[in-house]
Amino acid sequence: MDIKLISNEEKKNRITFSVSGIDIAYANTLRRIMGFEVPVMAIDEVEFRKNSSILYDELFAHRLGLIPLTTDLKAYTMTSECKCGGAGCASCTVKFTLKAAGPCTVYTADLKSKDPDIKPIANKIPIVKLLEDQEVELEATATLGKGKDHSKYCPGLIFYRIPDQDKDEFIFTVESWGQLTPKEIVIKAIDLYNSQLEEFSELVKKLE
Amino acid sequence: MIIPIRCFSCGKPIAQHWEEFSERSKNGEDKKKIMDDLGLERYCCRALFLGHVDLIDDASKFKKF
Repeated sequence: MDIKLISNEEKKNRITFSVSGIDIAYANTLRRIMGFEVPVMAIDEVEFRKNSSILYDELFAHRLGLIPLTTDLKAYTMTSECKCGGAGCASCTVKFTLKAAGPCTVYTADLKSKDPDIKPIANKIPIVKLLEDQEVELEATATLGKGKDHSKYCPGLIFYRIPDQDKDEFIFTVESWGQLTPKEIVIKAIDLYNSQLEEFSELVKKLE
Repeated sequence: MIIPIRCFSCGKPIAQHWEEFSERSKNGEDKKKIMDDLGLERYCCRALFLGHVDLIDDASKFKKF
């Protein structure tokens, strides 16, 4: 296997690299793990105290869920694998609060996080517009999740091209949405693949 | 209604660029140039910006239920 970095566009949050000496099945496995198995943070549960804005609660919550949050994979674990047993604790969930009264535009900057490392990737994402006498007050919970469960948990856009059908070369492009760097996505994907293969071989051993 | 947080097709977060886009296009700047500056490369994201009408200011005046 031969890996070459073709370009690293930090401003666009994108890397391109070529991998040769692998078959299509391996390339596609890498692509699927990078895009749908690498966990990232997103708001998953919202409790509304007040919402007199024009957006219905469910639409509002859906918008909140789609906001990409900077993710620290070392400090947080998936809720399903956490030692709290899925109940939700400080090492698998992050609480957010939002309080605003009109007239104003509510931005992601108004979303207050309990953990300063986990915050929206941009401050200027408009969430809702409020008129006079309209207000929102809510508490939201963000968790780690996988892209195969909901596309809000996708770390980015990942695809590969095959420049020459006769050669086994694949040109991968990894474009991150900002939660993780493209480098982190690739490294985490390979770690995940190794642990999945180990789990598989353990299971096969049990069968013998 | 209000600009979607992400592009429907590719998933790229685009809403943070909307205000700059609408401000600059109101000032008569070429929309192609603005979108190039903002880093909207794929035509899925560009179509969202070109086709979007911000109706939330009008809709907010009416009762929700």
